[in-house]
Amino acid sequence: MKRLICVMLSLTVFLSGCYQLPAQQEEKQYTATFLNLFDTVTTIVGKAESKEAFEAEARQVHDALLVYHQLFDIYEEYDGIHNLKTVNDAAGGDPVKVDEKIIDLLTDCKVFYEATGGLVNVAMGSVLKLWHDARTEGINNPQNARLPDEAALKAAADHTDMDKVVIDEAASTVCLTDGELRLDVGAVAKGWAVQKVAQEAPEGLLISVGGNVCATGAKDAKGTPWVVGIQNPENSETYLHTIHVTEGSVVTSGDYQRAYAVEGKLYHHIIDPHTLYPSQYWRSVTVVCPDSGVADALSTALFLLPQEEGQALLNRYSAEALWVKASGERFYSPGFDALIRT
Amino acid sequence: MKDLRLHFLKGDILAIAAVVVLAVGLLIFFVPKGDTAGGAVQVYQDGKLLREFPLNTDESFEINGDYHNTLEIRNGKVAITHSDCPGGDCLSSGWIGTAGRSIVCLPNRVEIRIVGKSDVDFVVG
Repeated sequence: MKRLICVMLSLTVFLSGCYQLPAQQEEKQYTATFLNLFDTVTTIVGKAESKEAFEAEARQVHDALLVYHQLFDIYEEYDGIHNLKTVNDAAGGDPVKVDEKIIDLLTDCKVFYEATGGLVNVAMGSVLKLWHDARTEGINNPQNARLPDEAALKAAADHTDMDKVVIDEAASTVCLTDGELRLDVGAVAKGWAVQKVAQEAPEGLLISVGGNVCATGAKDAKGTPWVVGIQNPENSETYLHTIHVTEGSVVTSGDYQRAYAVEGKLYHHIIDPHTLYPSQYWRSVTVVCPDSGVADALSTALFLLPQEEGQALLNRYSAEALWVKASGERFYSPGFDALIRT
Repeated sequence: MKDLRLHFLKGDILAIAAVVVLAVGLLIFFVPKGDTAGGAVQVYQDGKLLREFPLNTDESFEINGDYHNTLEIRNGKVAITHSDCPGGDCLSSGWIGTAGRSIVCLPNRVEIRIVGKSDVDFVVG
């Protein structure tokens, strides 16, 4: 009889569990995509009671990102604002009055520059422009794809001194005191903007700008973590791992992103400031870190460093990383294991 | 020494059987029906849904705009097979077939998204 009571009790528990199920399914998961920000794909994922409720949240995130997009743009100008194109165009001239968001970004960029021994250098715009132009031409006209002129690269490299980016916080101005220096914040700005926007965004969203992924809390009230897949560089349909993310950021730098071929050899977009050519250490580096801006800068720096030196940087920022070599061999920072789901 | 083995009574066995039958029945009843099981291909332009196709179809679709993309669905996978956009990023995305993945043509403001059951919320890389 006791056993029968046990069975009936478990049945009761099971039934009550089942009856709660429909209530838990109320919130559906939605995705919104925007193609007008930072010359890349912005994706927002979240659960909401209705499509309208989600779209309002996604719009709010979009509008906040748009402000940063316009300020950090080096290709286009916008009515009524001084952005980084304005600053670049005034190189060698007078200081330019800018929004404090630009002051904050460039101040952090100086910190990244110091911390990475100059590997993350947003004053490298003149060098990166040569690579950018050669890549664009090479993609549009593959038969005539060529590398940037070596002499031109070396000449441009003489105008990448971060000390010539003079910030006056009190006056809220930036001055490029080298007329040939140009800013290019591509290695930092997306992650940095995501971090700022995520801090003000609704809870429980997953925000990605060009693969700089940031979670603003768990995906539901039960605390279910987000599942982020890390693409296999060899096969985009499979994952190296899937990891759990509740707060904080994930970003991958890969040699397959923004690459072009010259005489059958691929050249990617992450340029080593010391050699002025794409680095050869890794196929991809994924960084997991509480701050999205730091994650973006670290993924670039780690891509340009051997594993040991990269690990030393990770230690300073409580960050974790997964490195993949050209051979497919993988290397993990000590704490990465704890993040892995599959 | 006490005999610790279980002695099932006929009633117990019936009760257990009842639990199993009920559990299976309830599971079938409450598990959400996968309406996108097998996956679907959604075509967005300027953020608006233009068309939706099942993934298990053979279909071609032309997307106009500032540029022109040709979309093809074959054997449960989708690709942009022709495009006159600068850069050609959409072409180099190749064939994709996993729910949650997408192909994007920024110049033509087009996103091809595969929807369906997926245990991954987002992919980096």
